[in-house]
Amino acid sequence: MISFFTGIIILILSGFIVKLYDKKYKILILSILNTIASSLYLIPAVKVLTNGQSLIQLFDFNNLFGTVCFQIDQLSAFFILIISIMNVVSIIYAKGYLKAYADKSIDAHLIFFQLLVASMLAVVSCQNAIMFLICWEIMSLSSFFLVIFENEKKEVLKAGLSYLVFMHISVIFIMLAFAILSVKSNSFDFSTFANILNGHRSLANIVFILFFIGFGTKAGFVPFHNWLPEAHPAAPSHVSAIMSGVMIKTGIYGILRTLTFVGTPSKTISFIVFIVAIVTALYGILYAITQNDIKRLLAYSSIENIGIIGTGIGLGMLGTAYNQPIVAILGYAGGILHILNHSIFKELLFLSAGSVYTKTHTRDIEKLGGLIKSMPQTGILFLIASISICALPPFNGFVSEFLIYMGMFKGLAINNFFALIIMLFGISCLALVGTMAILCFTKAFSVIFLGMPRSESALNVSQDNSKSMILPMCFLALLTILIGVFSVIAFAIALRPVNLLINISQYSIIPEVSLIFFITMYALLFLVILTAIILMKLKSTKGKISMQETWGCGYNKANNHMQYTASSYASPLLSMLTPLFKKVFDIEKPRKLFPESSHFNLQIEDIEEAYIINPLIKYDEWFLSKFESLQSGNIQSYIKYGLIFLIIIIVGSLFIK
Amino acid sequence: MILVKLLDIIILLVAPFLMAGIIKKTKAFWGGRKGPSIFQPLHDFIKLLKKEMVISNTTSLVFKIAPIIMIVSVIFASLFIPLASGESIFTVSGGLIIFAYTLSLGKFFALISAMDTGSSFEGMGASREACFTSIVEPAFFITIGSIMALSGNLTFDSLQQIMSNAGHYGILIKIFAIVVLFLMILIEGSRVPVDDPATHLELTMIHEVMILDNSGSDLALFTWANGIKMMLISSLIAYIIIPAGLNDWVNIVAYLAIIALISVIIGTIESGMARIRMSHVFEFIFIMSSLALVVFALVTAKMFGG
Repeated sequence: MISFFTGIIILILSGFIVKLYDKKYKILILSILNTIASSLYLIPAVKVLTNGQSLIQLFDFNNLFGTVCFQIDQLSAFFILIISIMNVVSIIYAKGYLKAYADKSIDAHLIFFQLLVASMLAVVSCQNAIMFLICWEIMSLSSFFLVIFENEKKEVLKAGLSYLVFMHISVIFIMLAFAILSVKSNSFDFSTFANILNGHRSLANIVFILFFIGFGTKAGFVPFHNWLPEAHPAAPSHVSAIMSGVMIKTGIYGILRTLTFVGTPSKTISFIVFIVAIVTALYGILYAITQNDIKRLLAYSSIENIGIIGTGIGLGMLGTAYNQPIVAILGYAGGILHILNHSIFKELLFLSAGSVYTKTHTRDIEKLGGLIKSMPQTGILFLIASISICALPPFNGFVSEFLIYMGMFKGLAINNFFALIIMLFGISCLALVGTMAILCFTKAFSVIFLGMPRSESALNVSQDNSKSMILPMCFLALLTILIGVFSVIAFAIALRPVNLLINISQYSIIPEVSLIFFITMYALLFLVILTAIILMKLKSTKGKISMQETWGCGYNKANNHMQYTASSYASPLLSMLTPLFKKVFDIEKPRKLFPESSHFNLQIEDIEEAYIINPLIKYDEWFLSKFESLQSGNIQSYIKYGLIFLIIIIVGSLFIK
Repeated sequence: MILVKLLDIIILLVAPFLMAGIIKKTKAFWGGRKGPSIFQPLHDFIKLLKKEMVISNTTSLVFKIAPIIMIVSVIFASLFIPLASGESIFTVSGGLIIFAYTLSLGKFFALISAMDTGSSFEGMGASREACFTSIVEPAFFITIGSIMALSGNLTFDSLQQIMSNAGHYGILIKIFAIVVLFLMILIEGSRVPVDDPATHLELTMIHEVMILDNSGSDLALFTWANGIKMMLISSLIAYIIIPAGLNDWVNIVAYLAIIALISVIIGTIESGMARIRMSHVFEFIFIMSSLALVVFALVTAKMFGG
């Protein structure tokens, strides 16, 4: 435990000492310090994951909020593992990425980065409600400052503010739930919560719903997802990577932690979670397909993956509620493993998108193309990440989705009409999400990297990024393959946190383990044979292929404007699902005999934002404008308000007593 | 038994081409022509393998490795499906998922290799194929998933057993499942009325247009992979029809007869109707999804309706 806190302290302090160094060495020193810190705080986590014994450290803040307990159990350890990987990778990558901002001071940015990592570590290990909320708030605020790095741009500030507002709406729900629990139990300690909820079915349900809304907003469950596609494009790539890779997962951590003390979830609650998660996955991938801004696309795809993780958790809850331990274990394990997997490939995607951005200075994929020739490493890394996010074997995404599928197939055996329908609904939706993900990422990859450059900025790229950006990405790509191939080990690690939710040792999961072992062997065989044949082919055909123009059906002056675009690639599916979007057309048709100017612009807006959030804000503004007269600027009247407020509180408290 | 396994391998190598041959022969028959021998597609395949390759200078590495990934993934997927011997090589629970996702890997590369050429025709084909797949796959999962729900056994090999024991609801389930899978052959194999492999007007094609720039052995591999895919779905149909517990050899004969019959039916459909307008193809595919839901409804009726 001491090494854990040493790690956190190094993280925080190193953020402040960078001010002393020359700009050139700042991130280099920070990378070294972060690597040391992460290996320090990783030690206890690895210890917990290997032997399963939780580590506890108590701090006495007598007068403030009593004894604060920090505990690294299997769930915390799993998240610490993810944080450590992402922390080191992001900071090393940032060295290359921030070079482009040479005229900007990056001190504050780096301090908040360190604070973000430290607060995430504290959030996942803290066992005291007040301390948890403090760390939670530090996490939200520091990530807010990271998002508004380019604060001279107006849209970045707007995105940052929208993020801040969403986070504070979410924290109200979390606070409310903690308030209920601590009033009932007279303590802020998580361990006491389980006792008072024991037997209080309805109270447990209310608390769970509150937590689900609060943490779900952080995670990005529909309908609380709107901040995600705003904040991610605004933030620099390494920040969006760590936010999407880890920070939104703290929301999932919160939900899992809640599950450890609300006991067996009720059937209704489990259904709600399951359905919300599936809708989230569908909604996310649908809007990901519509996007042409690469980072917005990735943000929506994060929503999709949060949906898949949620489906796993919802399945686990359903399994527990219906007393089907195998379904529950598969669901939880799949969901939890997908947290790790999603962190890895989404971080890789964001980093490679950033790598493209540093070279081309555009996020609009319609302006890119043909980059695999000028940036081969980034291209191949993006390809690997795309394949694994589509959950295709032998990469890592497949393993976790397979577990969730298996859970749902096993769930078909629950002898209940409603459960059967829900399970089959889940299976078909997951299949739909999978195929739509393929559409989405074939679009993203092929429009960015394949074909011919679609604009000057893509044409002028001469070489790939420096090693300091490529190497951390290579490490992540290696992880996607390793987890995909050695899925047995990943499954064993994912089973550790499941232990807290359901007692695995009581049940025989040998068939499941042997199935995963089969996948390991299958993936290994597949990978070896595939690589062998590809190498053989490339060797045997070398120099024997003649190169010609692309076949244009007789027309041989094809140029880059004749290529299929991203919008047209997605159009067949989207035209079928028209009612699910709000389309804003901006068309100027060519007129007159000699048409002068014409353009066509199609903007697809988030249906929830267009029809729910925006009207709500409008109504809110109208309502609040009624109180404008209160703001007189007169000190005396403000004191009067304070007095009135105090009197109301005192009188009110008398009545309540 | 080893002999039968050997037969499986031969079937994997030859049957896709024979299916194409039979389809062509049937079309020739209905058109009043003599038509090429049913071995002609096989000859074409061998000839293509020996041919020199010409590829577009817009393409990258992706274009070169895509055919290999396609064929390897299709062959790996075929290991989960029972062929003539009645049992698959990998008889594992959840084979459906591994099967579908392995096939998807091949499809992923087929799509990006089409986009790699920078040709608008191929982009169009890829876009349509990606869209159709996203509707077809859930329907496939619903159909096979609900049949597997009947027994709780999640291997493809159990299909034959389940369908033989399904009782009086079984016949209805069988009929609808067969229709769903047959429509899937038409869509995935890009046959009339979804797609017309014989046209040379690039705009009307889906699958064919995606491989417009492939030549030589690459083209051969794509054709073969597509043939195997059709044959795998046909095998599923075969094992829904063939009752369990037959003698090995009877089983093989029945299997081969059904595969041949499916080819004849495809050929007859292609002679009898034209391909439908692209905008109506979706409606056609949604027929498949609706029928898949019917299969599911029947399965629930059987499980809970007594």
